[in-house]
Amino acid sequence: MTAILECKHLTHYYGKRKIYEDLNFEVPRGRILGLLGKNGTGKTTTINILSGYLKPRAGECRIFGENIQTMSPAMRRNIGLLLEGHVQYQFMTITQIEKFYSAFYPGQWRREAYYELMDKLKVAPGQIISRMSNGQRSQVALGLILAQNPELLILDDFSLGLDPGYRRLFSDYLRDYARAEGKTVFLTSHIIQDMERLIDDCIIMDYGRILTQQPVRRLLDTVRRYTCHVPDDYEPQLPADEFYHPSVLRGVMETCSFLEPADAERRLTELRVPFTRLESEKINLEDAFIGLTGKY
Amino acid sequence: MTRLSRFFLYFILVVLAVWQLPWCYAFLTVKAAPQRFVMYSSLLGDFLLTGYEEGIGLTRHDTQGRSYTEQEVDSLLPMFYMRQLVADERFPDSLFGQPVSPREVQQTSFNFRMRPSAVNAPASGIYFLLESRPKRVELQMPDDAFRFTDEGVEFIVMETNTLDAGKSTRFTEALLAKGFRFPPRRVAGNPTTMKEYDNGYLLLDADGRLFHFKRVAGQPYVKALPLPEGVEARHVFVTEFRDHKLLGFLVDSRHRLHVVRADGSIAETGIPAYDPERDDFTIFGNQFDWTVRVASPGMTHYYALRADDYSLLKTFDMPVDGGEIPGLSFTSPYDQYVRPRF
Amino acid sequence: MLKAILYKEWIKLRWYALLAVLVTTGVAAYCLLRMDRAVTLRGAGHIWEVMVLKNAIFIDYLQFVPLLAGVLTALVQFMPEMQRKCLKLTLHLPCSQQRMVFTMLAAGVLVLVACFAVNVLVMLAYLTTVLPAGLTLNILSAAAPWYLAGLAGYLLTAWVCLEPTWRVRVAGLLVGALVVRVYFLSAVPHAYDSFLPWLAVFTLALSLLSWLSVTRFKAGRQD
Repeated sequence: MTAILECKHLTHYYGKRKIYEDLNFEVPRGRILGLLGKNGTGKTTTINILSGYLKPRAGECRIFGENIQTMSPAMRRNIGLLLEGHVQYQFMTITQIEKFYSAFYPGQWRREAYYELMDKLKVAPGQIISRMSNGQRSQVALGLILAQNPELLILDDFSLGLDPGYRRLFSDYLRDYARAEGKTVFLTSHIIQDMERLIDDCIIMDYGRILTQQPVRRLLDTVRRYTCHVPDDYEPQLPADEFYHPSVLRGVMETCSFLEPADAERRLTELRVPFTRLESEKINLEDAFIGLTGKY
Repeated sequence: MTRLSRFFLYFILVVLAVWQLPWCYAFLTVKAAPQRFVMYSSLLGDFLLTGYEEGIGLTRHDTQGRSYTEQEVDSLLPMFYMRQLVADERFPDSLFGQPVSPREVQQTSFNFRMRPSAVNAPASGIYFLLESRPKRVELQMPDDAFRFTDEGVEFIVMETNTLDAGKSTRFTEALLAKGFRFPPRRVAGNPTTMKEYDNGYLLLDADGRLFHFKRVAGQPYVKALPLPEGVEARHVFVTEFRDHKLLGFLVDSRHRLHVVRADGSIAETGIPAYDPERDDFTIFGNQFDWTVRVASPGMTHYYALRADDYSLLKTFDMPVDGGEIPGLSFTSPYDQYVRPRF
Repeated sequence: MLKAILYKEWIKLRWYALLAVLVTTGVAAYCLLRMDRAVTLRGAGHIWEVMVLKNAIFIDYLQFVPLLAGVLTALVQFMPEMQRKCLKLTLHLPCSQQRMVFTMLAAGVLVLVACFAVNVLVMLAYLTTVLPAGLTLNILSAAAPWYLAGLAGYLLTAWVCLEPTWRVRVAGLLVGALVVRVYFLSAVPHAYDSFLPWLAVFTLALSLLSWLSVTRFKAGRQD
């Protein structure tokens, strides 16, 4: 599998505030990769760097092997960009916007893909986008990306402002399209449930670093939530790379770990944790995310 | 492109700084320059300087530093302070052995001012030729305007904005008949009714020759005024003073000032230099003497001339504190154009 | 592609362009109407006299109208681009970003020039009936720097509008105000004549500033 997108040694600061330092990751061809992180961990920063609208303090990002900062216009042809909030030219109607974009993508523009989606929207062709609901706008933005038919799609928080129906519609439509056409997708969302149905791989970011990057299936297979009883006054002091964000509430300790149940129990014993009744359970992506990044 | 853009932004910032900072500095540190009024007194044989000095008040003295009272100054400048002297019943019967009367003073006194900004001004090329011998006493603006072309002079009836072909031909032919060559280099006149009479225009033709051009009883009046040997006219000004002695002034290529007398003869004055494009020029004249002020950048010259032969009586120079900070400006007190200059 | 860029700018500008033509021409027509009243009441001769002797131009009301038209054109054109960073979409299109930016600016300039041309034609249509060519030229020569100021106002506003940070925007406004002053230093006919060609070149060069803003936008500059 070749990487369609790779970022090396990314470092960025806003003023003196460090966002991250020496961040490395790559996105293999044909995969849908979700970037998960709490607010302020640099999701938007990363998307901005990837879409060429932020120059990192150090490091570089390459898409199709070309540096984003100096990318040729022709390369952008194969990158579909969805801005946060499905922003599109608000002053255009759905016909005008299609006419506008199609001129930039001769030979690859799939008009019917756009109109197939638009037909479901029940909006008049002459209605301008600013008068549409968030959900309808998201369909316009999606339709335009589908019509553009790019190799790589970069989507910034696609679920923002959408009600559950449209979120589901959006993610299902996108997944089917990407799977069927072998497209590579890099996306963020603040609603993890949507991601679980959609993404193949995930990158979980913590402040200043990447916590883990792996296929979602493998993550959900290996990560477990452990609960056990401990004395009320117990203050957990566990190695952060084995047990994530342990917390004690009314004599019950909760923590997340990639360790197998047997290994976890052995380690807790080795660490002289006064525990009883250790239980483990498989969890969904949202719980895994919270478990790995903490509630605070 | 980015580099060029950045360079252009810096260029703008530098230009704005060089333009605005000296102006701000001058604005903040501005000091009222002491103003002096200088007049030549033939009775004293010297200039009298009247001015205001911080902490002292009004001062009146001559170039030697001798002080005078207000009454003394009035009597030393009887032509200028005629009204005051008449009111005080101190106006003399005769001066320099010549009988004088207030009426005569009024008839023969004049002042003339020419600013460089009026000389260095864009012209519309449209002029008005008044009837110089009107049937009524008051002057009247004509119904037409005229302009010069390469071939002649054109009169346009203003109400209809149409050419008066007949009049144009008549006036063109009159000019051509006197050897005038179109188009003129300079056209000088005072097309206004706020004057006692009309002297028409002084023209410098394409070859630099001087002509007097006016309208008399509806007909063209053209007279070639031969210039003295070696005089190359640059600027002409028409005057309409009450004593009818002059047609106007002429400045030549060597910045010498000449008077053009009513009979068309030309006489050089004793003023060493006057550059109309640079100097602010004022004359206070009376039947005995003229006080001429030529304010050049950095130095104001005062000249006293005899009124009969325009010879130089006395000179007095006063340096002017320029106080100008070098910088860029777009406008200038010396002209009415907008263009960058340092 | 060029057509598509102009198409988008046209969608943004078309109603405003109509309004700008109507309002600027309206003000010009109002000036001419006042002039015509003066002609009726006091005779054409009076108009000619004050024009020659007092440098009157009769279109003083028009002075800041082109500037306003220019500033509004830039706002109408670039506010939607800056709204929720729509400009990202524009710059992401597979077209040279420089070409994109300068074509957009050219579209605005074109709209303004067309609008000003209508003004001038209306003025010419009336003025040539009551004034000789010399005096008509007086009026147009006085208005020329004002119209140029309209273009300058447009390009400077575009620069400020496209700039991503408020700090630089405020500085840009100050610089812009000073630059615009240069166009209003004299209302004397023909005062700008020799300077006008240079001023025109300078005015067009102001478009370079917008590119600076775009590079700053691309670098993700923030307050």
